[in-house]
Amino acid sequence: MAFSLNYQKIDDILAKLSSDYDIYAPVRLVGEGKFSATDRIQYDKITRAEQIVYNEKSDFSPREIISPITQTLFYFTENEFIENLPESRSIIIFARPCDINAFKRLDKIFLENGDFADSYYKSRRDKVHFALLDCKGGWESCFCVSMGTNKTSDYSLAVNFNSKTVEIEVNDSSFNKYFNDIKQCSYQYNFVKKNKIEVELPEIRPEQIEKISDLQIWQEYGQRCKSCGSCTAVCPSCSCFTTRDISYKENKKAGERRRVWASCLHPDFTEMAGGHSYRETAAARIRFRTLHKIYDYKKRFDTVNMCVGCGRCTDTCTQLISFATLLNRLSQEIKKLSVLEEGVEYVSKSSSS
Amino acid sequence: MEKKNIDIDVSKLTSNCFRQSKVKGECMLQMRVPGAVIKAEHLKYAVEIAEKWGNGDFHLGTRQTLSIPGIKYEDVSAVNKFLQSYIKGVEVDTCGVEMEVDSNGYATIGARNIMACIGNKHCLKANVNTTELARKLEKQIFPSPYHIKIGISGCPNDCAKGHFNDFGIIGLVKPEYDYERCIGCGKCVEACQGHATRVLTLTEDKKISKDSCCCVGCGECIVACPTGAWRRNPQEFYRVTIGGRAGKQYPRMGKMFLNFVTEEVLLKMLANWESFSADVLNHKPVYIHGGHLIDRAGYYNFKDKILAGVDLNPEAEVADHIYWAETEYRANIHVK
Repeated sequence: MAFSLNYQKIDDILAKLSSDYDIYAPVRLVGEGKFSATDRIQYDKITRAEQIVYNEKSDFSPREIISPITQTLFYFTENEFIENLPESRSIIIFARPCDINAFKRLDKIFLENGDFADSYYKSRRDKVHFALLDCKGGWESCFCVSMGTNKTSDYSLAVNFNSKTVEIEVNDSSFNKYFNDIKQCSYQYNFVKKNKIEVELPEIRPEQIEKISDLQIWQEYGQRCKSCGSCTAVCPSCSCFTTRDISYKENKKAGERRRVWASCLHPDFTEMAGGHSYRETAAARIRFRTLHKIYDYKKRFDTVNMCVGCGRCTDTCTQLISFATLLNRLSQEIKKLSVLEEGVEYVSKSSSS
Repeated sequence: MEKKNIDIDVSKLTSNCFRQSKVKGECMLQMRVPGAVIKAEHLKYAVEIAEKWGNGDFHLGTRQTLSIPGIKYEDVSAVNKFLQSYIKGVEVDTCGVEMEVDSNGYATIGARNIMACIGNKHCLKANVNTTELARKLEKQIFPSPYHIKIGISGCPNDCAKGHFNDFGIIGLVKPEYDYERCIGCGKCVEACQGHATRVLTLTEDKKISKDSCCCVGCGECIVACPTGAWRRNPQEFYRVTIGGRAGKQYPRMGKMFLNFVTEEVLLKMLANWESFSADVLNHKPVYIHGGHLIDRAGYYNFKDKILAGVDLNPEAEVADHIYWAETEYRANIHVK
């Protein structure tokens, strides 16, 4: 069923929903962008429709709602600890298909990687309902169609904001009660069918990995990349974190354990005792991230690729690296490798993993 | 010297924004470009004047004027007539200067062209819109016969060299730190160490500690932060340096007068410049560097007068004293 509402009505419904759910949507922080006189769009709790930025891609992804950037896991004293499981109400997240599909990627990592589910992630994730935001055709840096993430059936509501009215498709009968006495309409969510850019994903055979690691393309991108890690911070499917034990200043015997997002682009990501590191150059790090997004994850879980093609990494990169262009170039390089004559022995130049 | 029978009132010529040339009979026009931005269409005036009345050369003036050398004295009035629509287009239509534009060219050279970097319309580092500010200031200072040189930079890099102007204006930001968003990567610490005043440190808990005393308000931390833990405070602030100048005897770099003032405070303060100058100069607008004028009045006197009626914003800081530092090409300059 679908309904058409004006903004007064949608605010009434949001008010009713707010008594049952925490509602998150992309909001605009005016003048708080990276550069002067630019805005920042990131997820926050909302109560009114006008807060929702429906016609622009958010700078940051919704993953921070479920996997906070800084999260205290437990508090400890000398003999005890208290677990700090997030107490969460049910959640509605206004998100696009790419981001909803990204949560599926995160689910694999947090819930199915190894033999236990991450309870901190699960406690919030289980309570999530998605309200699908209309993409209105998408944006220039998007390549969801190439990644197969332009569609989803995992949504309770689908919403199309227009200047005066809002159309809502209800895809979950438990939400019907909020829409009593509302005018019905024939709205159906429009999934993006084509992006402005297409990405050709490389076909990688496991035995090629060493050769691929030695490709010159990584050196070139390594020269350009400043290892700032912005691409991982905005990524909806990045999941890496590190843990830190914090001892309180007044009493060092008490403290807390936190987890904090980490970035594989940062030089200390693979740092071990003694200061050794697996990936010492930006080239090695950008190679790792790229292959993780379009090869390693898929191989590990025998499923889809990790990258959902939202293009936020391209949007945020101050060194103007387009991830889509990188992937297309990589595909070409790998094709060249594949046509190399069989029988030519390949000697690896790389000693890194 | 060329043996030409020339009779020109040089000071009147200068006030009209034509500079006397060593080539007898010639002068150079200096067209104002407030904030160093005009529409490309306005450049056509410079081209036409240079080709029709100049010697065909075009000089980028050191104060960001459009300068046309080789204009004959006898052509000055024709040039001024042609200049009328440029002055109207730039001063009145673009900057909103309240003045009657006639065919006599610029009324005064007193308040010099306001210099500026490109600012936040383009630059990744800039914290303010230097063009808009320059235009607001142009409306305030032009056409004043009192000398004032202003240079505006969008950030503390001071690419527009405000430090060598009577008033250097520098766009600042007060970054806000969001503890929860910080992942302790230290990118802001690196940026602050590399580009700014090293006020950030990574704590034992892998969060950021800031020594707010010496933050120059450049915003490098915001640009460097991958997670948006450093947030741009949308309130724009300014630093003001005073007394900068070049010169043969004792060039002096400007010193900080105001720190973290709002645009409102800045504009009100500069609105007092004319009356301060008139007061010190006994209502005779003569050419004198701002720094010398402040010396003549005394800094404390200057401070009182220039801040008269100005309500400082809570963040504002004002210099208690100024310790000038000069390059003394002539020693013992203050001993007379």
